Amino acid sequence: MTLPDPQFGEKLITLMAALVLVLQIAMAGHRWLVTNIRIFALQSFLLAAIAATIAWFNHAPHLYLPALLTLALKGVIVPRLLERVVERVGIRQEIEPLINQPLSALLAGGLTLLGYVVAESFQRPEGSPSPESLGRNTLAVAISLFLIGFFMMINRRKAVTQVLGLLSLENGLFLAAISLTYGFPLIVDLGVFFDVLIAVMVLGILVHRIREAFDSMDVSKLDRLRG
Amino acid sequence: MILLLLLLVPFAAGVASWFARRLASMEAINLAAFGLTAILALGLAAQVLHEGAVSTFGGILYADALSALVVGLTALVALLSGVYAVGYLRHDRSSGVFDDDPHGAPPEAKLRMYYALTPFFVAAMMLVALANNLGVMWVAIEATTLASVFLVTFYGRATSLEAAWKYAIIGGVGLSMALFGTLVTYYSARRLPGADTFSGLNWSMLAAHAGQLDKTGMRLAFILILLGYGTKAGIAPMHTWKPDAYSEAPVPSAAILSSAMLNCALYGLIRNFALADRCLGGGFAPRLLILFGVLSMGLSVPFVLVQTNFRRLLAYHTIDHTGIMVLALGVGGPIGTLGLMLHMTYHTIAKSLLFLCAGNVFQHYRTDVFHDIKEGVIRAMPLTGAIFLMATLAIVGMPPFSLFQSEFLIVNAAFLGGHTLAGVLFVLFGTGVFAGAVLHVGKLVLGPSPAFPAPAPPRPWRNSALVVLGAFLIGIAFWLPAPLLALIRGAAQVVGGQ
Repeated sequence: MTLPDPQFGEKLITLMAALVLVLQIAMAGHRWLVTNIRIFALQSFLLAAIAATIAWFNHAPHLYLPALLTLALKGVIVPRLLERVVERVGIRQEIEPLINQPLSALLAGGLTLLGYVVAESFQRPEGSPSPESLGRNTLAVAISLFLIGFFMMINRRKAVTQVLGLLSLENGLFLAAISLTYGFPLIVDLGVFFDVLIAVMVLGILVHRIREAFDSMDVSKLDRLRG
Repeated sequence: MILLLLLLVPFAAGVASWFARRLASMEAINLAAFGLTAILALGLAAQVLHEGAVSTFGGILYADALSALVVGLTALVALLSGVYAVGYLRHDRSSGVFDDDPHGAPPEAKLRMYYALTPFFVAAMMLVALANNLGVMWVAIEATTLASVFLVTFYGRATSLEAAWKYAIIGGVGLSMALFGTLVTYYSARRLPGADTFSGLNWSMLAAHAGQLDKTGMRLAFILILLGYGTKAGIAPMHTWKPDAYSEAPVPSAAILSSAMLNCALYGLIRNFALADRCLGGGFAPRLLILFGVLSMGLSVPFVLVQTNFRRLLAYHTIDHTGIMVLALGVGGPIGTLGLMLHMTYHTIAKSLLFLCAGNVFQHYRTDVFHDIKEGVIRAMPLTGAIFLMATLAIVGMPPFSLFQSEFLIVNAAFLGGHTLAGVLFVLFGTGVFAGAVLHVGKLVLGPSPAFPAPAPPRPWRNSALVVLGAFLIGIAFWLPAPLLALIRGAAQVVGGQ
């Protein structure tokens, strides 16, 4: 068996990371809720693929499990749960962001630039081909995902879309984790995945109850508690 | 063994309560579990004082004096608010509070949720204090949020949903920053021996090699951690969830949130700060802490002064005290860290006591707005009124109560450390909070009242919790037991690294 070529692996990872970023910007700019959830699922698939690629080309077999978990959890189960919530509460499909879509997409692009600036100041040339040389572009993408996820949460009024923002922000974290350090120690990874799953269920139930109590999912109506 | 039991006992109690048939057995399970946890916590403290840091399972669980102190305080609050909760929830049930919820579950289901989630919540807090691995600690802190969200929505009002939504979302974003910070810490430790094994994120290992951590990485990590765990602790400007969650949750839960969970969030911050400070040296991390600490104290002053709702008043007061503790951590030095640990201990007792008093007042008058209560509380409820007033005086730092001592130490350390401006602002903001709190609570308790107010019914469960905590508060004002002081000193040394 020929040794996997790390150069090729790195290119593949960079390509996929770029796609992940494109999907994130698309999510920030897209109007339909269900499409947003599907984009998120696709993004999670790609992340799982990135994790598997890193595991294969950089001999980090412990990354296969997080890859599998991402695929199952964020690629399949969480989007399913979210779609069910959307179906059950029967909300209008449009997202109604505070800032219109073209401007949102533009701002997301700006945040990507910011992500690159932050990642650049953080990376110093160190010579040795360790995780950090692999992480150069991926880290920038991860920070951009984080920032755009943040922006999506601020920019949106519906409860489900805020959850989606939080999840894509966590995708950024996962990308940073696999590219910087080849993931956390296994037990931590398992704990994090468990927490994400519980968090989605908790938030789903909350969304459902808010919808019942307020007859709306617009979180800007949650404004009774002041001072 | 004791470490494992501290986690398993509350966890098992949560599971058992979930499957229990009768309300009485849920109450019994909770009380038994929290009583046992308190005994175990005492055992842990004794062991740590006797043998130094203990660990099990190859260092997965680890407890030094700081962990033992946080575990002990958590167990104390869990036990007493557990006792209080029995009376509080029985009263809620008999007075028909649960029937107001239009969409809600039957009262039995609500009580089951309370009695199952609270032990899980306590178990998560124990794991925060006992986890050696910083990643596991993060998982535990996130778990405290997840376990307590449905305690905030307990009453199912529209406002409780709003509070819970803010709590979950703001907490979620904050904690994802903390996870990023933990990740960057792990990255900064990549050159240490054993970095790629499970123990690569173990605090005890990182603290021993703090000097070899990557400095750029640790700087970024500390900023992220401060924002993340700071959100969870509720330092300004990430505090906005706090008054809402504290005033919507049932009072025993609010008592736990405002004291034990606050300690756990600060504990996460303290552990990471100890690493960052030992690695970076200089004033970078301390200066950030002092800035956020003073900001939190300053921000709480106007809200305390104009507050109309006493549970929200207590919440803003907690923000003030979080600021004080963060400031004390930043000021550092032997006096500053000692002040921090003393303050954490005293604040836990006084603040949980205040919430329990507020709960009695709230249940009697069915409102938590000051001017809706038309009579002096002390006439209708002499015991509650007296303890409420005493605890208020204690928490604003009146001598002879111990918070005066700890705040004095912290101010002293601030001036000694050359943080003159921070020290001056501390005194200034402290005066503002003092005026606001004493004025409001004084009026509530001592206000004019009819000659013969309707006597309150007896509340044995609630008042016994009140009396025990009140006795603690008076007791430690005059005599701090030697083992407790040794534990507090030990905890301060863990931060300072002597």
